[in-house]
Amino acid sequence: MIEKKQQIFNKLGLHARAAAKLSHLANMFSADIYLIFNEDKVNAKSLLGILTLAASVGNEIILQAAGADEKEAIQAIGDLFDRKFDEEI
Amino acid sequence: MSKEVKGIQLSQVSALAPLKIVRVFNEKGLANLVSHPRPQRPGLGLSGYLKHIHAGRIQIFGKTEAGYLASLKDDERGRCLRNYFALRLPGVIVAESIEPEADWIAAAARHNTPLLVSELHTAPLISRLNAYLYQYFSKTIKMNGVLMDIMGQGVLITGASGIGKSETALELVNKGYQLIADDVAEFYIDSNDELVGRANEVIKNLMEVRGLGIINVNDIFGASAVLDEKRLNLVINLEKWDPKKKYDRLGEDNLYFKILGLEVPLINLPVGPGRNLSTIIEVALRNFLAKKAGRLTYLESRGSTAPAAPGAASVTEEPPKGDSTT
Repeated sequence: MIEKKQQIFNKLGLHARAAAKLSHLANMFSADIYLIFNEDKVNAKSLLGILTLAASVGNEIILQAAGADEKEAIQAIGDLFDRKFDEEI
Repeated sequence: MSKEVKGIQLSQVSALAPLKIVRVFNEKGLANLVSHPRPQRPGLGLSGYLKHIHAGRIQIFGKTEAGYLASLKDDERGRCLRNYFALRLPGVIVAESIEPEADWIAAAARHNTPLLVSELHTAPLISRLNAYLYQYFSKTIKMNGVLMDIMGQGVLITGASGIGKSETALELVNKGYQLIADDVAEFYIDSNDELVGRANEVIKNLMEVRGLGIINVNDIFGASAVLDEKRLNLVINLEKWDPKKKYDRLGEDNLYFKILGLEVPLINLPVGPGRNLSTIIEVALRNFLAKKAGRLTYLESRGSTAPAAPGAASVTEEPPKGDSTT
């Protein structure tokens, strides 16, 4: 199992569209992937689960993955956060 | 992962719990923190025995307290009130619209303790406070799964992502059962020590169906298709059919799932081609209710209705011999 701290850079935070992109990406990996924020832990493959976090810009969350492709998963998801979910220039 | 809370402001309690507060004295004290879920009646605390009066608990005054204080001589009453309020209590709620005396208000004001007057009698006042504060102070936990009301029972359907939880739930909603939460359900323990589940406010009434997106069950199926919260009775875990795994063939396994320290009955349902999950879940519920009522089909099917020793059903395979007249 590996963990990574990740800051949220996009203005709107983990809103519906970003959450959809995130869960779509997470579903491409076989590893179990979780987001941890404010003592809440949700499955990154679940869109509604991500929405319940209500995490916004500037917040720091923890990405956690366990499974065969955990490294690739964390790398790809961290990258999506860093790219601000491709929504801003 | 579960959370614990430290305290709640008295103003929030009086605003959110249905306490029928009609008047407030020493309003500044409404910012005081309540740190304990059970309210307390002072009882002997007023006569000077303060050992078990807890400074974090809301205090309840009823006719007994008011009558006792009224029976004391002025200087005696002043001393009792001074000692009692010196504990820095978060607040006192006076029941049955009893008018607080001027010296109560003064003694309480010295330590910033507010006095709230409620229309309710002491018993309903305490039970409403209990219900609200227990929910507030309970540990909460988020569980991945769909929480539904099926035949009056709270059922959490769990399973790996993509196994078909939401699709099964949608079929069940279509059959007339109620959705409480899709994907993530939050649980807390209420004042009766029972596990209660509800949806996070953000995703209430929502459901995600791949290919359709996010749908609002309340808009599509109507108000009868959703519920705010429900006591949890059963967990049904969907898993990929594994030919090597031994599944319950007789219906005699008693498995449990632990949530916040409480055990909930668990059924493992293998998902395979040609298995209609929503029908199997419906039948599982009927069987669960029958078992609750004491009907154990796996024992009865041996031909005798007398309850045999537990596990006996799996020992013998021989059909009962001829004399069916007995």
